[in-house]
Amino acid sequence: MSNEIDFDEILSKYRSDPFDYVEVCATHTGVVHFRVGEGDAVEAPSGEWQQIPGTALYQITRERNPKLVAARTNGVVSGIRSELEGQFVEAGEKLITIRHPLKKKEIIENILKEVLYLFRAPERAKYYFALDVQSRIEKKGVRAVTIEAGEEVLTMSLMKRDTPIYYTGEGGVIHSVYFTPGVSVNQGEPLLGICAPEKLPLIQKIITRVKADWNSEQGLAA
Amino acid sequence: METRERGGGGIAVTAAEIDRQRLMEDRLRRQAWDATEVERILRYGAFVGTAIECYPVLDRAMEKARIHITAMEQAGRSVHNGTVILADRLERSKGRFDRTWHAPSGGLWGCLLHVNTLLPQSRNLISLAVGVACCEAVREMGIAAELRWVNDVLVGDRKVAGFLIESFFSPRYREEYNLIGFGINVNNHQFPHELRDTALSLAQALGRPLDINSFARLFLAKLSFAVGLLYYEEERRLHGGDDWDDGGHRLLQLWRGLSTTVGRRVVFGFDVLQAPRYQATVGGITGSGGLVMVLDDGHEKTEYSGEIRYI
Repeated sequence: MSNEIDFDEILSKYRSDPFDYVEVCATHTGVVHFRVGEGDAVEAPSGEWQQIPGTALYQITRERNPKLVAARTNGVVSGIRSELEGQFVEAGEKLITIRHPLKKKEIIENILKEVLYLFRAPERAKYYFALDVQSRIEKKGVRAVTIEAGEEVLTMSLMKRDTPIYYTGEGGVIHSVYFTPGVSVNQGEPLLGICAPEKLPLIQKIITRVKADWNSEQGLAA
Repeated sequence: METRERGGGGIAVTAAEIDRQRLMEDRLRRQAWDATEVERILRYGAFVGTAIECYPVLDRAMEKARIHITAMEQAGRSVHNGTVILADRLERSKGRFDRTWHAPSGGLWGCLLHVNTLLPQSRNLISLAVGVACCEAVREMGIAAELRWVNDVLVGDRKVAGFLIESFFSPRYREEYNLIGFGINVNNHQFPHELRDTALSLAQALGRPLDINSFARLFLAKLSFAVGLLYYEEERRLHGGDDWDDGGHRLLQLWRGLSTTVGRRVVFGFDVLQAPRYQATVGGITGSGGLVMVLDDGHEKTEYSGEIRYI
């Protein structure tokens, strides 16, 4: 992580293109049939418990077992591999791109994700802090808690089996917590954002600067 | 802390006895299953109980398992996969989260050490497997037990057994173990005030005490079969058999046959006692053991972690 942040460049980037481009890939091998076209608006899951699925994006059929895959984010279909319609694809093949309009909070999080070390979920599961870390957080507050590589930092709970998760990144302060205990996190999504203690002021400066800039320019990413 | 020799009262089970019980399990299963399959399943599960340590008292069986693994590594020795640690009573046992688990004399308290050699898809079903084994053993004692997702064993609306499964990475070689903790209320009949309305022992259900060693042998033989089935089904799928998600996994078939969860109205939460989240009707169980919840608006949500209570 660099100590030098070109705020103007970062803000300029988001000002000119306040979108995320989310790639949707084949969940597994199979024959693909698209359910959306380029330019279509798509919705993310909704409902109090996220029980209402997002817009159906494509159907993938493996061994006569069709599976409908829905959008996880809202936006507009900005790219689609229509040449793959009805074709057999490998797992991970890029199928669709969704242009997702960023909110202020998402822009701040995106910038932070560029400067923090992100510790990601090893499996789709529910996560909670290890007892020792939880106790330290309760005493000192999350941003005063430092973790080191090899430390048991989280517990992963899946099908009533609890697995200790050992931190593997650079040691530092827990700056951002991206999970909520009791809510599932998909594999690969960030769980924690970590930074070196001496870089906390820099992180705070980023947040302050973005917030100030945003407040003075309402509608920046509207 | 010394292991206890046989004949001193309390829990005393040997690996040879588990082997003999497995033969009985083999004969029983052949009444409904293909003999060759039963033989292979039990061969896969034969590691369960290859070493058994019995103690009069322990703080926690899971903790003893960790100490055992660490000590064996430090001594340059291998841990027997399938080692079972049993104790007459536990002094500092605990349930999930910060819940207490009352483990006085008369209950079956212990831990199975399983070197994790399962694929992730099979491993997710371990919780279901241990519940199936216990529920089958309880039923074989003539008690009408049933399973509540994930693996609560109920008699009526009271819980007779609880399980805690934790992964453990050995300190020296980073070998991954599944520590399968079990607590079954067999002959104990006094419960702390907070559990009085929700817990029950098998002796209370049956109206007479049970031979705890016989029950321990029965449970461990059933566990051999259930865990062996995970390996057997894994092999079938790796050799082009059914798909993982097709729901045809035979452990899930056993679970469905023992459970009344599907179709029930439930409240769900990660820690349902402290933080219930929502109510729904259970629509089914997926091929990976997830619970399909049908919410009041008709939409479905599948949960892979958490717990339920019937309403």
